Parts: sequence; C-alpha cells; structure tokens
Amino acid sequence: MIEVDDLGIRFKMEKRRRSGALSFLLERSQNRQRSPREFWALRHVSFTVERGDTVGVIGRNGSGKSTLLRVIAGVYPPDEGKVSIGGEVSTLFSLGAGFQTELSGRDNIYLNGIMVGLTKDRIEELLDVIIEFAELGDFIDMPVRTYSSGMRARLGFAIAMHSDKDIVLIDEIMGAGDVAFRQKAEAEMSRIIGERTVILVSHNMSAIEQFANKAIWFDKGVIAGMGEPKKVVEQYLAASKVKKPPPDKEDWAVA
Amino acid sequence: MIEQLKNIWERRELLYYMVRFQMKAEKKNKVLGFVWSFLDPLLLMLTYIVLVSYIFGRGGPQFPVLLFTALISWRWFTNSLRRSVNSVTSKVGLIQSVRFPLVILPLSGIIIGFFDWLFGFAILVPMLFIFKASFTVNVLWLPVLLLIQIIGTIGACLIAAVWGTYLSDLSNIIQFAIRICFYLTPIIWAVEERIPERLIHLYMLLNPFAGLLESYKNVLIRGVPPSEYAIVGVALSCVVFVVGLWYFSRDEHKLVKAI
Repeated sequence: MIEVDDLGIRFKMEKRRRSGALSFLLERSQNRQRSPREFWALRHVSFTVERGDTVGVIGRNGSGKSTLLRVIAGVYPPDEGKVSIGGEVSTLFSLGAGFQTELSGRDNIYLNGIMVGLTKDRIEELLDVIIEFAELGDFIDMPVRTYSSGMRARLGFAIAMHSDKDIVLIDEIMGAGDVAFRQKAEAEMSRIIGERTVILVSHNMSAIEQFANKAIWFDKGVIAGMGEPKKVVEQYLAASKVKKPPPDKEDWAVA
Repeated sequence: MIEQLKNIWERRELLYYMVRFQMKAEKKNKVLGFVWSFLDPLLLMLTYIVLVSYIFGRGGPQFPVLLFTALISWRWFTNSLRRSVNSVTSKVGLIQSVRFPLVILPLSGIIIGFFDWLFGFAILVPMLFIFKASFTVNVLWLPVLLLIQIIGTIGACLIAAVWGTYLSDLSNIIQFAIRICFYLTPIIWAVEERIPERLIHLYMLLNPFAGLLESYKNVLIRGVPPSEYAIVGVALSCVVFVVGLWYFSRDEHKLVKAI
C-alpha cells in the first residue's frame, strides 16, 4: 500500500525564512560565501505499510514524524529515495492546521472535500455525518477562528475519518476532546482498524499500543525502532528514560 | 509546463471553490460586504476627479469616464499582483495539509480581481452613456483586450508569487513600484497633453500599459480601434506568461519548504 524506500527530506536552515531584500542580494553577490546550512528532517527511511495496517509513529518532538506524514500526504516530494502510495490519502490535520479560520466549520468541511477530490454529491452526503460526529452544534456555522483547540481537533478528526480515503493520517489529535468524545474517537478507530490504512502519530503510548499493529520510532529523522508496538514503545520509553505510567483506561493524559 | 495547464484544468472545481470561499471570507466581517466592490473604484475615481478636474483644472469634459476606464483595468492588474505576492505564504496551513497545485493560489487572486473589474464595469456602462461615449462596433475588441491583459497578468503574478514567498520585502517594493508606474501611465493624464510629440512613439513602445489602456479608451469611449501600440502589450504578455508559467512550475516544489 505504501512503500517508502531510503527516503530523505532536506531543509535549508536560514535564520530568516525569507531574507530581507538587501541581504538576499548581498548573499547572491558574495557568491554563497555563507552557504545556508541544511539539515535532513528524514534520512534513509525505509518501511512498508500493507493495506489495513495501523502504523503508530512515535518519537520526540522534532524527530520527523510530521514531516513523514506530509510526505505521505504528497506535500513534500522526496529529496532522496522513493515513495510509492497505492491509494488516496486524506488531509493531514495537525492540531487544526489546514482550516481556513475565517470560514465556518461547514465551509471548511466542504473545502476539504473539494481539495481531496470528492465530488459535490459525495460531500453533501458526508457533510451531515461529519457534522454529527464532530458534535459542534451551532458552532458548525461559526468561523473556525472562534473554535477552541479541542473543537478544531474534533472537526479535523471527524473530517479525516469520514473522507472516503484509503489512507488516513492522524497527527496528535487522539488526546484532544473530553472523555465522551475520546470514547467516540476510540470506537471510531476500532471500527476502521483493518478496514482502512491508518498512520497514527501520537505521544499517547496507550493509544499506540491499543490501535497500532505496527510501530515506528523516529529519532532525529532516522528510524530508531520498528516492529511490534509494545516492543517499540518500550524501546522508546527506555531511551527517553520515562517510567511508563500504569495502564489506566481513564487516564489519557495529554503528554 | 503543459502539465501545469492540464493540472489546472483538471482541478478547475477547486479553483472555483477557492475563489468563492476567498471572496466569502473577505466580505464576511465587513458591514457593507460586497458593496465595497462598487465603492472602492468609485471613491477612487472621485478622489482623482477632485484632484485633476478641480484642483488642477485639467482633464477635459470626458475626464471621469476616461479615468474610470483606465482605472478599473489598472486596478485589476495591481490588485492581482498584490494578492499574488502573499498568496502562498498566507496559506501555509493548507499547503502543508493536503497536496494541490499551488498555481491555484495566485490564479484565484487574479480571478477575484477580475470580478472587481466586472463590478467596476457595471458602473462604467452608465457612465459611458452619461458622458456620451461613441458606441461603435469596435466595442467588440473589449474581450480581446481583456484576454491580452489576463495572459500578461497571470505571468506577472506567478513570478510575483514565487518571489513573494522568498522575499517578504516584495510587497513593500511592489507597492512602491505600482505607485510610480501609476503616475507614469496615462490614467489620470492624457498622452497627447503631457508627452512631447516627438517622444510619444518612444513612450508608447516603452510602456506596455500605455498601449493597452489607450486601447480600452479607444474602443469603449472614442469609438475607434485599439491603439497599434497594444501590440507591445500582446508581445510582452505572451513572453511574461510563458516565463511565469515555466518559473512557477520549476520552483513550485521548493515553495512548500520555503514556508
């Protein structure tokens, strides 16, 4: 379903994302005496995902997890290596990014559907399902900028889950929402396991162990561990020297 | 490059919705909403009428309608350019969440600019009657002129979108450059009045907008065919279009990382 072969993603590190015009010209005229440093967000990454897998991706902040999701979403083309994706990918909602905040939740659902290539009819069909799942009530017609982070996460999750795509990308949103919503999210995740292919990035080790049938641990852009979730989580926690909290269904504390 | 064009055609529905949602978002907070699309050019025109007709005492009887014709076309170009400069950087969240042809971002700015032109045109039509413009078959040249303008605008905006992503100064530079070009172009003044006769030919060759704007005035108000100097506009538009399209296609994948 997804084949990643020696993937590398490189970024140029500039102090200012966009240099001022003058320094831009100066750098040019000095003929790259200060060549910008580059860093590899991902390097030599290889793994395979079969249809129906739920892959848990763990690692410290900045280890390349979100970058990987973006590669799979098609946002970053590989600088090295190859990525083959045999299916359609959902939108990546990282903690609510990707919403047009001036528009209402409803409009964002619509826009998202168009962006991932759904037909208008299909979007209409899914609209009610998504609205109901997100439980935003009247807020669905308010601009997203009025939403709390939890509400955005719920909407993002609702859209990602119901967008008809073979591959679902979930970034850090399992921890959002109140207990009632988490139970719903849990149920939804359990429902689609096996049916669809899920890439789940989370800091919540319980969620990873519960849903994933494969886990990959990223450390500074390379794979530090891969395989059975319980094992990989243990490796990761050992390396981070964090004592694993006792498994407690009620305690989905946000890391 | 042909790929790009095909791509855009395939995702035309996306372009449509981007435009629609962008326009919706922009007028959401404004009390007057879309009325501003009419008011903006109207108020601008009134400002210049006061300045030129009353304060300077120039312009002639048809000044308002000549001014307005040039103004709405000029505004279409400059507003498109301004929007394009920030088109990519303003949509970081969206670009990093889902894959889509980025060219849609500056393009939607141009299309919104065109709708503003249409609103302006809706006001222009009654003005043409009021100021007794000559209505001849030459009016049929209008779509051709619009086509020339849109081709050139697309090229310029694609280049602006790329540069604007790397250089935040570009919006300041563009503001300034537009202002200068505005005064150097026959919008609030007439070519015959201000340019010495022996220099007119040179001027018209050097300023691509001059030929185009004179042509708009020719076909809508004076009832004559477009200015020969519009050819300069045609040639330049085509070149800029090809260059812009090539440049944007080449750099598109770098843009996602630059934001």
